[in-house]
Amino acid sequence: MTQPVRPPSDDTTLVKIRGLTTVLNGKTIFNALDLDIPRGKITAIMGPSGTGKTTLLKHITGQMRADAGEIRVNGENVAELSREQLYKMREGIGYLFQNSALLTDFDVFENVAFPLRQHTKLPEVLIRDLVLLKLQAVGLRGAARLTPNELSGGMARRVALARAIVFDPMLILYDEPFVGLDPVALNQVLKLIRTLNQTLGITSVLVAHELAAVQRVADHVFLIANGKVVAQGDPKTIANDGSAWTRQFFGGEADGPVPFQYPAGDLAQALGFAGAAK
Amino acid sequence: MNVREPQRSNVVSQSLAQIGACGLFLLTLLAAVPRSFRYVRETIRQLWFVGAMSLTIIMVCGLFVGMVLMLQLYHVLSIFGGTSASGMVVALSVYRELGPVVTALLFAGRAGTSITAEIGLMRATDQIDAMEMMAVDPIAYVATPRFLAGLIAMPLLCCVFCAMAVFGGHLVGVTWLGIDNGTFWSNMTAVVDVRTDIVNGVLLKSLAFGAVVSLIAVFQGFTTPPTSEGVAYATTRTVVASSIAILALDFVLTAFLM
Amino acid sequence: MSQPRSSYAVGTGLFIVLGFAALAYLATQTSSVANVHQGDSYTVEAQFTNIGQLKERAPVKIAGVRVGQVQSITLKSGHDVADVKLSIDKNYDRIPQDSVATIFTSGLLGDQYVGIQYGTSKQFVAAAGTLARTKSTEPLEEMLGKFFGAGGVVDNVGGSYTVRAGFTNVGTLSAGAPVKMAGVVIGSVQSVHADPVKLNAEVVLSIDKRYDAIPDDSAAAVFTSGLIGSQYVAIQPGGSPDSLKDGDEMILTQSAMQLEDLIGKFLVNGSPSDKKDAGNGSK
Repeated sequence: MTQPVRPPSDDTTLVKIRGLTTVLNGKTIFNALDLDIPRGKITAIMGPSGTGKTTLLKHITGQMRADAGEIRVNGENVAELSREQLYKMREGIGYLFQNSALLTDFDVFENVAFPLRQHTKLPEVLIRDLVLLKLQAVGLRGAARLTPNELSGGMARRVALARAIVFDPMLILYDEPFVGLDPVALNQVLKLIRTLNQTLGITSVLVAHELAAVQRVADHVFLIANGKVVAQGDPKTIANDGSAWTRQFFGGEADGPVPFQYPAGDLAQALGFAGAAK
Repeated sequence: MNVREPQRSNVVSQSLAQIGACGLFLLTLLAAVPRSFRYVRETIRQLWFVGAMSLTIIMVCGLFVGMVLMLQLYHVLSIFGGTSASGMVVALSVYRELGPVVTALLFAGRAGTSITAEIGLMRATDQIDAMEMMAVDPIAYVATPRFLAGLIAMPLLCCVFCAMAVFGGHLVGVTWLGIDNGTFWSNMTAVVDVRTDIVNGVLLKSLAFGAVVSLIAVFQGFTTPPTSEGVAYATTRTVVASSIAILALDFVLTAFLM
Repeated sequence: MSQPRSSYAVGTGLFIVLGFAALAYLATQTSSVANVHQGDSYTVEAQFTNIGQLKERAPVKIAGVRVGQVQSITLKSGHDVADVKLSIDKNYDRIPQDSVATIFTSGLLGDQYVGIQYGTSKQFVAAAGTLARTKSTEPLEEMLGKFFGAGGVVDNVGGSYTVRAGFTNVGTLSAGAPVKMAGVVIGSVQSVHADPVKLNAEVVLSIDKRYDAIPDDSAAAVFTSGLIGSQYVAIQPGGSPDSLKDGDEMILTQSAMQLEDLIGKFLVNGSPSDKKDAGNGSK
């Protein structure tokens, strides 16, 4: 793909987030979040459930608008792009959905060919070759004529990955790529993420919970909690930086900064003992 | 622990909000029509699903409606010695009312629900988001083709329905009850008018119904919460809202066209 | 993936073709599209005092055979007759000039059409010509009257004269109702209206010229044909040597019997006491 002319940006950072603030249904998801995603690296974004990791990815792709703050992808302010420009930008971004999101109307081959058919007028022969190459890369060339219903979870994710890279994007966003995979499939996906990053130099952003898997693949880890980045650094060392957040999250403690109890009133009162206590 | 009060907002204002949102959605759909010209293949594919796949039910129902109508009319008209007019009455009532209305109701049940459920499931499985991410406009690719397909399919289905109903009426009236074949056709051709009955009745009405049903189906699919209950609820709502809209619109159109 | 795609396209194409075939079937086999489209034709004008339910594109028939259609129906301002333009097939261009154009109804409930009954003239109606002799639509009352009355059809063709008669009550008598003598229809009621001075109903009777020897002391009565039949005017001849002339007034009249009166006569004894009881009961 020919890269369109882009405004100059500093070379090391592909996605730059400054002061991101988002309020959803009265709940503050992000509170002045700052985050830089380095170019050509694998960045993992971790955090407790419900901290808005997926929301962050949707902000990067422009599917959701922030209430305040600025997101620059390759120097362009996402919030200021028109629909056409946004779509143009998204052609350079691959997105791997948590549940693969293969189009159930089509078989595996057509799913991978879908972006090509929509955005190019390539001859059928060329489309076939490109799709088969991408399927070969994820090891599923033989499954080209299966329908999405016939695939296992790991296979579906690999097909979705083939679809995400069919345009050779500059950035791939992986939304929970390790959830629900058996160890074999997990290793296959890990291998693919690493290969894609190393051979094609694609910047990768992972949203995940699994520290062990992340440690094997990521170059940099951000830990998000309470709408802010609470810790960041090398995956080997971040677990030992000593803060309460990292201790609970990576140590797997049930109670801590993330409370075990959902916020509620006094238990005695709820059980009807309030009168007796007085 | 306080049990939260169920939110009781006004039913009227809720329905009005639905209608308003539906109207805005129609504008979005129409605005996406030029962009969906690129996806004309998708429109053809949807025409296959909503049109050609509904053909069986439409043909069978049309046949039976014509047959039962003829049977009823024959017995009523025989009191007045007017059985020769029954073919004409079958044709008129089918062309003006039953054809468009029954076809639209069947269409809502057969194609409308499947459109709603399909789009709802596509949303539940992130397929709509995936399209958005692949820089494919889901309105232009998913919504508008289905809407256009419904718009095109309804008049065609209605024509098939009416033809089958006349055939069914002929079957019962001429073959079974012994009305004279020539009388059957001559009475019909003498009274049925191309402009008032076929263009205004069959074509215009079914076009309007097709637009309403497919708009409601697509709208419900797109606005439903992407969960299994949400999809189930939305398909039900498609049928209910479509039926009400069809019959209300039928009254308005009849008042204006006849 | 070109295989399934093209099969969708073929199936959809078949569906569209089937739909249009059905439309063509509806339009050509079951409707009057064939009637709308016709060959060369010429127009003839005819004036009717009452076109009833006649509509544009209604058929024009000779001896029951369709020869054309009604092209337009207009009412010129200031005129009380409707101008009806008939578009007639060129093949039937030898219609005698004195032919009568009549508005008929197909069956009791059917649509109306224009029937042309040939006259005897050797001259034919030219294109854009006029059929001078017409018969207008007959109101349902009159048709019912014909069923109930034994008399034959009276044409206005032969000409008629009018006489007036005052009634204190005409019941539901309306214009067009038959006028009968000895049960035979001899004319029709031309108009019914209230007289502002005498405060009664003045009925104008149009009687066929053939019956010009009706004594001028004859009585006119409003009768009802059967229990649910329409009302008509019956003329009971008197003994005067002078006969009624155009514009005369009939002196002796008998008004319509009200249904209430009729029933009351049957129930003379019962009803007053019933009313009293009902009045007491409610108190």
